[in-house]
Amino acid sequence: MGSYELSLVTLAAIYAMLALSLNLITGFCGQISLGHAAFFGAGAYAAALLSKSGGPFVAALGAGMLVAALFGLVVGLASLRVRHDFLAITTMGVGFLFLGFVRKQKALGAELGISGIPDHGLGAWGLALLAVALTVATAILSLHIRRAWAGRAFAAIADDEDTARTMGIDVVRYKLVAFVMGTAIAGLAGGVFAHFTRFIIPDAFGFTVSISILAMVIVGGIGSTWGVLVGAVMLTLLPELFRFINDYKLLIYGSLLLLVMRFAPGGLAGALAPLFRRAGTAAGGAR
Amino acid sequence: MLQLELTIQGLINGSMYALMAVGLTLVYGLLRILHVAHAGLYTLGAYIAVLIANASGSLLLGAAVAIPAVGLAGMAVYRLLYEPILDRPPYVALIASIGLFIVMEEAYRLVFGPYGETFSTPYLAGRLAIGPIGAKGAEVLMVIAAFGLLTLLALLARRTRFGVAWRATVSDPAMARSFGVDTIKVRYVNFFVASGLAASAAILVAVLNNLVEPTMGSVPSYKTLAIIVLGGLGNVAGTLAASLALGVIEAFGTIYIGHLLDRDAIAFLFLVLVLMIRPQGLFAAK
Amino acid sequence: MSLLEIDAVTVRFGGILALEQVSFALEAGELLGLIGPNGAGKTTMLRAITGVVAPTVGRIRLDGRDITGLSTDRRVRLGLALTHQIVRPLRAMTALDNVVCAAGHAKTASFLRALATRHSLAEERRAREFLALVGIAEFADAMPSAMPLGALKRLEVARALALSPRVLLLDEPLAGLNHVEAARLADTIVGLNRSGLSIVLIEHNLGEVLRICQRLVVLDNGSRIAAGDPQTVIADATVRAAYLGQEAGHAAA
Ligand SMILES: Nc1ncnc2c1ncn2[C@@H]1O[C@H](COP(=O)(O)OP(=O)(O)OP(=O)(O)O)[C@@H](O)[C@H]1O
Ligand SMILES: [Mg+2]
Repeated sequence: MGSYELSLVTLAAIYAMLALSLNLITGFCGQISLGHAAFFGAGAYAAALLSKSGGPFVAALGAGMLVAALFGLVVGLASLRVRHDFLAITTMGVGFLFLGFVRKQKALGAELGISGIPDHGLGAWGLALLAVALTVATAILSLHIRRAWAGRAFAAIADDEDTARTMGIDVVRYKLVAFVMGTAIAGLAGGVFAHFTRFIIPDAFGFTVSISILAMVIVGGIGSTWGVLVGAVMLTLLPELFRFINDYKLLIYGSLLLLVMRFAPGGLAGALAPLFRRAGTAAGGAR
Repeated sequence: MLQLELTIQGLINGSMYALMAVGLTLVYGLLRILHVAHAGLYTLGAYIAVLIANASGSLLLGAAVAIPAVGLAGMAVYRLLYEPILDRPPYVALIASIGLFIVMEEAYRLVFGPYGETFSTPYLAGRLAIGPIGAKGAEVLMVIAAFGLLTLLALLARRTRFGVAWRATVSDPAMARSFGVDTIKVRYVNFFVASGLAASAAILVAVLNNLVEPTMGSVPSYKTLAIIVLGGLGNVAGTLAASLALGVIEAFGTIYIGHLLDRDAIAFLFLVLVLMIRPQGLFAAK
Repeated sequence: MSLLEIDAVTVRFGGILALEQVSFALEAGELLGLIGPNGAGKTTMLRAITGVVAPTVGRIRLDGRDITGLSTDRRVRLGLALTHQIVRPLRAMTALDNVVCAAGHAKTASFLRALATRHSLAEERRAREFLALVGIAEFADAMPSAMPLGALKRLEVARALALSPRVLLLDEPLAGLNHVEAARLADTIVGLNRSGLSIVLIEHNLGEVLRICQRLVVLDNGSRIAAGDPQTVIADATVRAAYLGQEAGHAAA
């Protein structure tokens, strides 16, 4: 693999982590978020600053995770006050606020961002492997949660949180956990991203990025780990592999959001599920 | 004096927000949809107007074609996109609408190019002044248009049979239907009017800046969402108040907290603060 | 000490006084009927007990412990379970999964435990038993959208039972059931009560109420107007007036 291919793998893995982490919040727990890139950005900035002040790479990743998770906890607490449409707009607002704040901070390089982020020392192969390993870990965590009792509790909350309460489920705690887990992973992805590009600007974490992450989740199929994984890799690589698409990248993301919501709200996973189910029955009903 | 200038500048911007946000809040009141693509229709209005004005030499003709054309486009968006997904969970329409907005912006960029169009002859560029206070002609027209159009709308809503049916449908669709109101027709008219208002706001902004660009809807698109939430979703008077208030707050904010926060984020700072204190919006009836 | 004590509870919605200084108690092992005309405040009382609405004034105690300030899920974990008058199934799950989710309450009570545990065979078995008990075993794999109202009503009961409650609060469980189904479910309720479960039953089907309840509390217009053994209560002039007033109102309308 050449360095170009390696960088594609790394980038796809970073976006897959982001999409899976948003899926924990929006897909599993049913809390729509239109500002996920803010947590990605918080992690990236925190990791970049720590690295630049001489901290080791691992510590930088940890710092990115921690800062994003704390930010996520605050937004999670705020999310307890609002539902549905209001939550969508609140999280969108958080995204714009993050951007509007970062753009004006001299300490964060304002519009120019942070450049000269130190080398992570792993080499291109090392970083790609790390990113893939973290993505695989996130996917395994997601698959596990879905099967565990925590997944049932999340599903109940996503379905109808008042009813979930009458079933003894501590909705507040579960929502906060979903936000903290999802944003911590987004922060981790941010740390990897900052060291991958070694140069970050505010616009890399803007509303368009939040919507792109959401598009990956929705095209893949909200709540489906495999679907989201495929959606993220597909939407990241398609514009890169077919260069002529790159100019139409946003047009494609937008059209996909529009068409999936209009015609197939279950996304890829939803559209393919009946096929798998039929195959399963044919194979003797094995689950 | 600075204070006065800022207030006036704020009211001018607030008028523009009001023209857009009133339509948005009506759509929400009627259908519970956060209609982000409203800003795509807004930009469409500016493009139609500038192209026709430049071809014919008459801005008035441009506006006269653009406003109803965008109204029709709004009706088409309702019919083709929203109507089939009305019974889905609310996020479905919201995300579809965001998708449509992105598609529209990209389409303008691909069709008309990224740099935008200007009027071959700038309109209303002169400055009007009363004593020490001055404003551009287009700015004055913006305020007059906003107040004029919204007053007209209020009168129609109060004085005509259809207006009464419309208000009844916004406040309680099931009840309105049981009184024989054709609520489907109300929806179409609502989209026509809302989109027409957005188009007129866009034309005024285009004249003011002498520029029509693909991304001119980006800032108002999400900011007006903040406004209608602050105004108490579906509440027209609240939305008006929130529009003007935000215009003024932004004008002052740019000067006083501009070093801390980007101008376009001020709306969201208020939004988040207000929602934390009053989760149902600033002016919503409890 | 009573198992559940309602102490001078008042609930106000804006200008509406839905409950005014209502007190009553549920003894351990009792089957108590809470009745009253439409809009009397019965559902509101149930919601105040479970913490869905907050009482303006008054206290609620479970086993002597003041639970007035606790969240709904906390109260449920302390042993309260309710069924909704207007059914609220989890729509994205089968009937069985609805009940399984409730049956796993001990596992979902702590996030870490819920994260660490996957096996659910015991809960599935118990869930099937509850579905059979209320007579909807054949709907186990059905989605709620494909179930008739009568079955959804009973799903509410199965789900509440799966929480292994100490106090079961039933809001019109018999409404929407035909005569035979209603009598059967009423018998099931009696059976549960015999096996030691304490129950508050809200019901408009007075025939079944009089047949199975040991004691009645009557609400009208947000106030308690009578309480005591069923025969005495139903003969009470105030109670008759409250119900008849409504009948008279209907006749006049
Ligand atoms: N959320 C609410 N907001 C405002 N008023 C309410 C609310 N819930 C109930 N009420 C009012 O409180 C009163 C009591 O209602 P409640 O539902 O408790 O009656 P109920 O006895 O359960 O009646 P039914 O037999 O019809 O179920 C009614 O006047 C009702 O309109
Ligand atoms: Mg009731």
